[in-house]
Amino acid sequence: MTLLRPFALDRPETLEEAAAVLTEHGGGAALYAGGTELLLLMKEGLVRVQRLVDVKRVRGLADIRAEDATVVIGATARHRAVEISALLRERCPLVAGVARHVANVRVRHVGTVGGNLAFADPHSDVATLFLALDAELVLWRRAGERRLSLGDFLLGAYETARRDDEILTGVRLHPWPAGTASAYLKFGVHERPTLGVALAVTPAGAGAPAAVRLSVGCVGPKPQRFPEIERQAARMGVAELAARAPALAQAAADAVETASDLHGAADYKRDMTRVFVRRAFEIVAARAAGEEPRARYPYTVIV
Amino acid sequence: MSGPLRVVGQSVRRLDALEKVTGRARYVTDLELPGMLHARLVRSPYAHARIVRVDTRAAAAVPSVRGVAAAGDLTGCDPYFGPAFRDRPMLAVDVVRYEGEPVVAVVADDEAAAQEAAALVDVDYEELPSVTTLEEALAPGAPLVHAGQPLAGHFADLSTLRAKPGTNICHQFDFARGRSAETLAAAPLTLEDTYTFPRVQHYSMEPHAAVAAWNEQGELTVWASTQNPYSVRVELAKMFGSPLSRIRVVVPLLGGGFGGKTYAKLEPIVSALARMTGRAVRLAISVEDAFRTVRRCDARVRVRLGFTRDGLLVAAECDADFDVGAYADIGPRIIQKGTYTATGPYRVPHLRLHSNAVYTNTTPGGAFRGFGVPQLAWGVESLLDEAARRLDRDPVDLRRQNLLAHGEEFAPGDTPVDGKFEESLNRAAQAIRWTQGAAADRGRGVAMMMKASIGPTVSEAMVRLHADGSATVLASTVEMGQGARTVMAQIAAEVLAIPVERVTVATPDTAITPYDQTTSSSRSTTMTGRAVQEAAADVRGQLLHVAARRLGVPAAQLRLEDGSVVGGAETLSYPDVLRERFGMGGGELIGRGIVAPGRSAAALGGSTPFWEMAVGAAEVALDAETGAITVEKYVSVADVGRCINPLLCEAQDEGAVMQGLGHTLLEEMRYDRGQLLNANLVDYRVPRAEDLPPALECHFVENADGAGPFGAKGAGEGSLVPVSPAIGNALTRLTGVRLRELPLTPERVWRALRARRPTKT
Amino acid sequence: MPDTRTPSSFRVALTVNARPVTLEVPAHALLLDVLRDRLGLKGAKRSCDIQVCGACTVLVDGAPVSACTFLAVEVDGCEVLTVEGLADGDRLDPLQEAFMQHGAVQCGFCTSGMLMSARALLNEDPSPTRERVAHYLRGNLCRCTGYRKLVDAIVACGNQGTT
Repeated sequence: MTLLRPFALDRPETLEEAAAVLTEHGGGAALYAGGTELLLLMKEGLVRVQRLVDVKRVRGLADIRAEDATVVIGATARHRAVEISALLRERCPLVAGVARHVANVRVRHVGTVGGNLAFADPHSDVATLFLALDAELVLWRRAGERRLSLGDFLLGAYETARRDDEILTGVRLHPWPAGTASAYLKFGVHERPTLGVALAVTPAGAGAPAAVRLSVGCVGPKPQRFPEIERQAARMGVAELAARAPALAQAAADAVETASDLHGAADYKRDMTRVFVRRAFEIVAARAAGEEPRARYPYTVIV
Repeated sequence: MSGPLRVVGQSVRRLDALEKVTGRARYVTDLELPGMLHARLVRSPYAHARIVRVDTRAAAAVPSVRGVAAAGDLTGCDPYFGPAFRDRPMLAVDVVRYEGEPVVAVVADDEAAAQEAAALVDVDYEELPSVTTLEEALAPGAPLVHAGQPLAGHFADLSTLRAKPGTNICHQFDFARGRSAETLAAAPLTLEDTYTFPRVQHYSMEPHAAVAAWNEQGELTVWASTQNPYSVRVELAKMFGSPLSRIRVVVPLLGGGFGGKTYAKLEPIVSALARMTGRAVRLAISVEDAFRTVRRCDARVRVRLGFTRDGLLVAAECDADFDVGAYADIGPRIIQKGTYTATGPYRVPHLRLHSNAVYTNTTPGGAFRGFGVPQLAWGVESLLDEAARRLDRDPVDLRRQNLLAHGEEFAPGDTPVDGKFEESLNRAAQAIRWTQGAAADRGRGVAMMMKASIGPTVSEAMVRLHADGSATVLASTVEMGQGARTVMAQIAAEVLAIPVERVTVATPDTAITPYDQTTSSSRSTTMTGRAVQEAAADVRGQLLHVAARRLGVPAAQLRLEDGSVVGGAETLSYPDVLRERFGMGGGELIGRGIVAPGRSAAALGGSTPFWEMAVGAAEVALDAETGAITVEKYVSVADVGRCINPLLCEAQDEGAVMQGLGHTLLEEMRYDRGQLLNANLVDYRVPRAEDLPPALECHFVENADGAGPFGAKGAGEGSLVPVSPAIGNALTRLTGVRLRELPLTPERVWRALRARRPTKT
Repeated sequence: MPDTRTPSSFRVALTVNARPVTLEVPAHALLLDVLRDRLGLKGAKRSCDIQVCGACTVLVDGAPVSACTFLAVEVDGCEVLTVEGLADGDRLDPLQEAFMQHGAVQCGFCTSGMLMSARALLNEDPSPTRERVAHYLRGNLCRCTGYRKLVDAIVACGNQGTT
């Protein structure tokens, strides 16, 4: 077994206090919330931490709240809180639904959304889905706060654009408009998902054109969107979407960046992108037509 | 004994159920001895390297470190151990032979200090060329994992080990009869193919652990998570030059074993550290380190089968290479056992079987449920289905045609077939509805297996009947989840006609419970069970003898019933009988049982006391786009003679099937040039609750035709073996594609399907 | 043995199996080790050590956590329930009875964690389907039973409507 090496623990009650500790201790201090990723890294000796800065006592950091059209999930909100949040179930039901399938039940009760995103594990359902929600991360430091799109925040596997003195305080999601049909598909036989697909199809509405949002993740260093495919698909009606699903999926497979690892080879992931993007379009097209498709696939979670 | 059975055949609650569900069950890692120290091992990062320099000064300087040792520091003992070859050092001597091999040991007051000190040990290595696959190890001129002939071990059936000098082959096994080459050449249909079985790990949820302490008299006690305390004892006695009587091995409950805890693993080093420090020392390794302690031997098996046009299997040849890793462990016996019954339950007049045990610079391979038979059955049962296809025969029918009959000879001098294969096959076929074709999107497959247990072996037991009529069973069968202790209690309770709640089964302890060779090879119910039965019968005989004398009637007129001797003018309770015997309210009757079948003329030097036989039938669905196989239904049939405890038998076989599902669909140890990449539970995928087939049935054939108590035979391994060929055969019947490599992960199946249709995107 | 080299030491006051406990723990102490080594509650086990297998599952304010990767300092003010706290004196939790009755116990090393996860599940969903149970137990591994009897036992408890 591996025990943790001794470290100091600070429990600031404000962001200012947290920032002060970070600044004072530089690289030897790490932000800590759920610890489901960080403590593992510490156990494995992959990071050496002299000081944990526990931000769970900072007021409001775990809140899930609405801000006009956006929904803000506080960085220290647990996956479990996301799962049962009435607000999210109403405004972003897919987010609540996917939270139910992150890792295992213990990680869901302890792990946080912010921790998940900040860790930037390539195999992240949360990151994959949030990319399709045009998520913006709120990064706070004493000099000020900035917002960064998730796409710009995630630089690669385990690599983010967070500066050492910045604290991730929340994620701003832009719920899809009413009438959007969506689905999240997660496939994989291993402990971490081999592939995740988030798809949202919004019909043209009052003053707003139709929109399609497609995100594929877990297959490469970070999740991806497909602007070209989204534009093409946005011009299609529901029936055409279903019919053109194979072609759209092939386009996604051609464009996706995949990497081989213990959860699958790059070529397999590329083909699975094709398979599951197509399946996602089929499911979403059915949902857009008011049906609930009953197809089930092995080792696949459909939200 | 006449009359219906009272306790045997009942699904009585297991003896240890309550302590396990209340968290009171104690395993080795729960033990705390006063002044106990904690050990950590520093392991080699290289697959093959010379140890150039070991610097332990920084480690030794850590406060509360009580000792740091490399091989040279362990004086006064033979550093080598191993049940076949004594080729494995407690700590690497001059050379490391696999990534993960222990090199230095640190002992400290607590785990944290031991961990910290271990991280400060500094070792310089000079990397050496390594061989980490069978291909590399068998290539001409390959670097040798072991230079020079290793020493032989201490088992009768392994007394002659045939290495191939100058190669990495440390043992060879041959078994032949008739004229296979000619017969194959002349056979109307011959098939040949090669199959591989992966490296997988037991993942007992409790990793290996041991606590050792020497007392003032120089006697050693080891509390060990081991399946064979007596093997460990003899190993330690040899290493430390102690008489057996001064080595004591105690075994509390095991958190799983599956073969991975047979033969010495951690006990030697822990004992050496205890001696070095003069204190009790505890070593509990992590799951990651368990992956670097023992695994299943992977294998490559080339099979050739010859048939007549009518489907008669006339000849078979198998050439199998087993990768035993860096140290042989029980590998030589595995290749023998696995290969001996390569042709399974079929009558094959002409055969030639050969296998090699091959060293590689990887985690040592050792015993794992099935013991070489899964590796061969994967190949033979797959090729058998191919034969059925070529002969345009139903696979069940083809098998049925060639089955050995009940009572038929398997090999000269060996135990005749003691079960009814056809009955098992028919039951499996019926349960899977074989004759009613599968739905278009489903495939069905079947496979059979036969396995020898080990022989000759020795099991001894004692039963003590106490003054109040309760009893204690002394037997060294280890409880690792299979329920053996409960079964022993049932057997004793049956013979003594007392409630099973009044029977205690003592903790295996070589100072107290008599010799039992091993808890493995599905032998315990049959062999140790018989010893317990005999010991209880010995007590019964004493009871009847005393009662007869007191009642003035022949003992033959009396019998045991409900804790009393009945049949005479008076009913005498057991306390009455003991008072009669001893003249007071004390004393006890002690019974003894010894089961020690001798050597026979059979190929492996000893009769197997019984044949383990099982059939598996699977119905699968396939998501062809992803390659994901779903097992919709699995049926297992095991011919066990008699289920002493039906619920426990069923529980065992359900577990065996799911463990088989593991290596069939999910599990493989991934190596990159000798570096183990996935020695953890995130990256090594074992079955979960969601992998349970929607329909899983475990059936038992009970014809009371075994050599064990009440006609029992062994169980627990058999049902694992047919899983991979049954599912492989089902997949082939569904898709027409044959995979020869396990596990059948979605990606592997996907590749195979694409290879068949190269233009498909 | 207390580690006097730790820079930080914390006082935690909690209840463990409904009994108040107060401890001084260093920041880096893991809940599993505190339970096992300081409180003598050996039921929770260390197996995979990376939150996957569930052998170390305990309930903290009703939520299942992996004690192997959970800081002891986090349980200040909390109610911790371990397998030793499931029974009420001699009266076993229905899950414990069901596990025994259905043959869902073999080597027992996963049993403590399984019971705690099952208890958390039934507290949340008193009558789960087999599918729900299997999904909930995704993080509780067992190498012996093959899961069938475990799911049987938990579903049976649920069907009886007992919590």
